[in-house]
Order: sequence, then structure tokens, then C-alpha cells
Amino acid sequence: MSWVKAAPLVPGSGKEEEVFDEEADESLLVQREWQSHMRRRVKEGYRDGLEAGKAVTLQQGFNQGYKEGAEIIMNYGQLRGTLSALLSWCHLHDTSSALISKINNLLDAVDQCEEHVLKHLKSVTPQPDVVDLLDSIQDMDLCHVVPAEKKMDEAKDERLCENNAEFNKNGSKSLSWVDCSSSECCATWEHAHSENPSLTWILEQTDSLVKQLGVSVDILQYLKQL
Amino acid sequence: MAGSEDPFDAIVMADDRFRGEGYQEGYEEGSSLGIIEGKRHGTLYGAKVGSEVGCYQGFALAWRCLLHSHAAVEKDSRKMRVLESLIGMIEKFPYHDPTYARLHEDLDRIRGKFKQLCSLLNVQPDFRVGAERPGLSF
Repeated sequence: MSWVKAAPLVPGSGKEEEVFDEEADESLLVQREWQSHMRRRVKEGYRDGLEAGKAVTLQQGFNQGYKEGAEIIMNYGQLRGTLSALLSWCHLHDTSSALISKINNLLDAVDQCEEHVLKHLKSVTPQPDVVDLLDSIQDMDLCHVVPAEKKMDEAKDERLCENNAEFNKNGSKSLSWVDCSSSECCATWEHAHSENPSLTWILEQTDSLVKQLGVSVDILQYLKQL
Repeated sequence: MAGSEDPFDAIVMADDRFRGEGYQEGYEEGSSLGIIEGKRHGTLYGAKVGSEVGCYQGFALAWRCLLHSHAAVEKDSRKMRVLESLIGMIEKFPYHDPTYARLHEDLDRIRGKFKQLCSLLNVQPDFRVGAERPGLSF
């Protein structure tokens, strides 16, 4: 943020004289014009940089998210598939409608569970618009006040927490994706596990259902890893 | 900072310098935003594939178990062959790798095999495998 501090320094005129000196008005005007001009340059550069940076990492982010989403949701798919198999088995063997509606209920529960987890996965990374943030700070005319930088940093820090170290402050341009992905993974797994009460319930119900159907419990063996 | 060098140079170069500083910062922000945005989309598509493939896998593995434990049904070995082939296809399918070149192709083959299995098992596709999750579009 050195430009924030740099902007008012460049014209370098003292403010004390402006009350007495008639020329000061003009220099103040020039100073303001210069500042707004430079701010525009910074903004322009910022926008271009933002687009360029985004273009470079979008695919990377996509791949990362894809892997995570696929691996976590796969388990729910397996559970739904198993229940679907049991449902079709019941239909073939004219099982009591009570059991059939029980399976249908469990399938609904899996759907809800899966939707919930997916929502969490998506909301792990909230997205405050940095351009808006920057613009609003500039509109507030805080730029020539030193604490403005502090404010930006605080805003960044908040996001830093929310995004699980999405920023790597030390490594200037190159963010450490390995670190990011591992911490993100942990976070999403925590979210996934926080869903476990209802998922555990579904698994328990499925277990008892399988016993009621007189089917070998082996059918659920591979689901245990959930 | 300006002033330490030739002040005229500093003024002439100021445009570029400020623009460059903005660019640098924008680039860093953009990089992390790109990751976040890409991730959001990726998660959705990955979840779609994972959900669908997981569903086929769960279905196939459960049916294998059902057929094994009920010898009367198992006499038709064709069912077993298709079932094993589907399970094998899913096991080999790198469902978590978006860079896999034959992702769509393989997924379509798995879908086809799944349909074949359903008709062999004589089960109606009224259960929800892929029902609310129609084809992937990306």
C-alpha cells in the first residue's frame, strides 16, 4: 500500500501557508488534481492486475475445488446408490410398503445432507469484492490518512481468517497453494464432519433396514469409511 | 520514493509507477480471487461428478452383495458380468481429476453400462440415481 502514503507526498507543498497565501489555493487545486489523477492510475493498474491475476489462477482453483467436491460428495453418492439398490431390490421382491417408504425417507435425508454439505463447501470461501472495497475506501477519502493502510490490513486479516490463509503475505506474488489446499481441505472436512450427526443417523437406520430385509450386512462394508 | 532521484524523472515516470503499483496489488488480489472463484465452480462440478459416479458405485456394489447372498438370483451370470464390468469401470475412472482428458467419454460409458445393468436386473429407473442430476454441462 505504499502508494497510499506516496500520493500526498509527491506534490510536497506545506499546508500551513494556505490560509495566508493566495497562491496556495491554486497549488492545493493542482495537488488535488494530481492526487486524483494518480489514484486513477493506481485504480486502472489495479483493475488490470486483478484481471490478469484472476486469469492465471482460475483454472487452478477450479481443479482444486473439483477434486475436493468430488471426493467429499462421492461418499454421499455411494450411500444414495446403496439405498437405491435396496429400494429396487424391495420393489422386485414385493417387500412391505412400510420398508419401502422408510428407504424413500432415508433417500430424502441423504439428499438433504448432501445439499447441506455442498452449501458449506461453497460458503467456505466467501467473496468480498476487493475492487468495491478499495473503491469505497477511496470514496471515504481515507487514503491520505495513515490509518487507512491499517484498515486495509485489518480487512485483509479478516479475510485471511475466513479463507484459511488464502493469502501468503510473505511470498509476494506466488501464493503457496500446497499450504492453502491442505488447510482448506481440513476446513471442509471439519464442515463435512459437523454434518455427521444426521449422517450417522442415516447410516444407523440403513444398518437396521438391511437387517430387517434379511440381507447380509456386508452390503454396508464400504460405507463404514463415512 | 519520489524526490530521492531526479524529481523530473519521478514526475514523468509517476504515471507508470502508480499504475504499476496498482497492477502489482491487483494481481495479487486477483490471484487469490481467481482461486476462490475457480474453486466455487470446481466444487460444484466435482460434486456433480462425484455424486453421480458414487451413486452408480454404491448401487453396483450393493447389488453385487445382494446377488451373491441370494444364490437363486445369481444363476444368471450375465448380470454378474455386467455388474463386475461396471464396478471395474468406476474403479478405473479418475472421478476426482478434472484434467482427465476422457472424463466425458468414460462417464458416458459408465452411464451406458449402468442402464444396461438396470435393464438386466429388471429394475425401473424410478429411483433417484442421476434423476435430479441430469447431464453435466461444462
